Amino acid sequence: MADSGELRKRTFVVTRFDPDKDQVPKTQSYEVPCRPEWKVLDALNYIKDEIDPTLSHRWSCRMAVCGSCGMNVNGEPKLTCKTSLAEYGDTVEVAPLANFPIIRDLVIEMDGFMEKFKAVKPWVIVAKEKAAEEGTYRQSPAQLAAFKQFSMCINCMLCYAACPVVAKEPDFLGPAAIALGHRYNMDSRDEGAPERNEIFRGEGTVFSCSYANECSEVCPKHVDPAAAINQSKLLAVIDWATSFVVKREK
Amino acid sequence: MTRPSDPQAMTPSKPGRTRTAPPQLPDDFWTRPRMRTYLLFDATGIVYLLVGLIALRVAWALADGAPAWDALLQSFASPGYVLFHILALISAIFVGVRFFRLFPKAQPAQIGPVKPPPPAVLHALLYAAWGGITLVLLAVFGGIWP
Amino acid sequence: MKALLLRFEPIIWVLFGAGIMVGTLLLPGYLLTVTLGAPLGLLPDGALSFERAHMIFSNPLGRLVLLAIIALPLWKGAHHTRALAVDTLGHHSDALIGSLLYAIAAIGSLLGIVAVLAI
Repeated sequence: MADSGELRKRTFVVTRFDPDKDQVPKTQSYEVPCRPEWKVLDALNYIKDEIDPTLSHRWSCRMAVCGSCGMNVNGEPKLTCKTSLAEYGDTVEVAPLANFPIIRDLVIEMDGFMEKFKAVKPWVIVAKEKAAEEGTYRQSPAQLAAFKQFSMCINCMLCYAACPVVAKEPDFLGPAAIALGHRYNMDSRDEGAPERNEIFRGEGTVFSCSYANECSEVCPKHVDPAAAINQSKLLAVIDWATSFVVKREK
Repeated sequence: MTRPSDPQAMTPSKPGRTRTAPPQLPDDFWTRPRMRTYLLFDATGIVYLLVGLIALRVAWALADGAPAWDALLQSFASPGYVLFHILALISAIFVGVRFFRLFPKAQPAQIGPVKPPPPAVLHALLYAAWGGITLVLLAVFGGIWP
Repeated sequence: MKALLLRFEPIIWVLFGAGIMVGTLLLPGYLLTVTLGAPLGLLPDGALSFERAHMIFSNPLGRLVLLAIIALPLWKGAHHTRALAVDTLGHHSDALIGSLLYAIAAIGSLLGIVAVLAI
């Protein structure tokens, strides 16, 4: 393997938590000789491989498409496989994703997210399925453009770690879930907008969003969940208003 | 290094198989530059509440007659009121700039047959409206016209 | 109380939206003249004398503009102050604080209607 340049020693201050041993999370420091082209994930894997095999962290694709490796690096939610160490100095703090219960070390409890995710009914809802003989659904480029951006979410949950409302309002559906619900509301094949808009006005209410825009700032896939949420507010209001005029099937 | 989020943040309805540590935030979550701007933006709410309530005094004074009106204008000349209304002016401009920046992407791609204009056009319209309305009010309230 | 707030949330949001849009558009012109220019004597003579001010604000359009300046900032203010309260104090007191703030906005708006009609 070609020599990729001088190694630089950096100190990684990593959150550790073993539920069998620790009352509360603590930090542990590791000295890592870093190659110049390394990402944060490379350093974490070095720690696990060479220094401390007890460190637990999630990762998979190494190329920012699976959404597994989200963590708080120096206080900011990042995909560690995508975050270059060149952005940082001699000390790098790696913590589990903010706002999630911590299972162990850098691994967080995802089930809360999965519940909010499922709550928005993220599938095409039609009153009557098209028969196979009728052919496929057709969508123009404009119809696709109305929702495509919101379909690019990789469920990395960085947006939940960045959101001040998620930090304080446990019932809030959250950016990714709302963006996904909105993706289906804007899909021309879907007829489920009235159902989803009722969920959007329910306990997890989209109106809890205060448009901090932090979710969109941290999203690695440029989904712009803040746009989805705030578009959803307007559409939910229109849906609410029309529900008084137009009779709905329950 | 960290501070707690709400203890129930992102907590599933059924507990997992092992004990979890409560959700946490970085210590500087609320003091980072973008978050500070956002908190200031929310804090202008307090200023707007007071602006509305003080404007109520303006309406009452007009309804009560000339002496009440003159007394009100005189009280508005006090340092406290002047400083507050300058703060209100700065707040309104701060709110306007941030709100106009975030406004275009909050418009759905289509509502029925209606499509919003592109962001650049929306920005131009919003700032033109802001400038136009301000000039009209300056002219009318400022004694220039009628 | 939380359920009540949820039921009214769409209409509160519309009022907040109008408040932030229309309120912000109107405020600089109003603040520069009525609250700063006139009291500090920076306006031409008689610009906002009682006679002229009364003429402007007893006109139907003037009444509407003044009502907008009273009511709409109240709804923007209430909604954002509530968000600030959640950010700083958490969600447990949100139902109470939110209800109080929207009540202030509602009462202020009603008083505003009475006041501008009395001009």
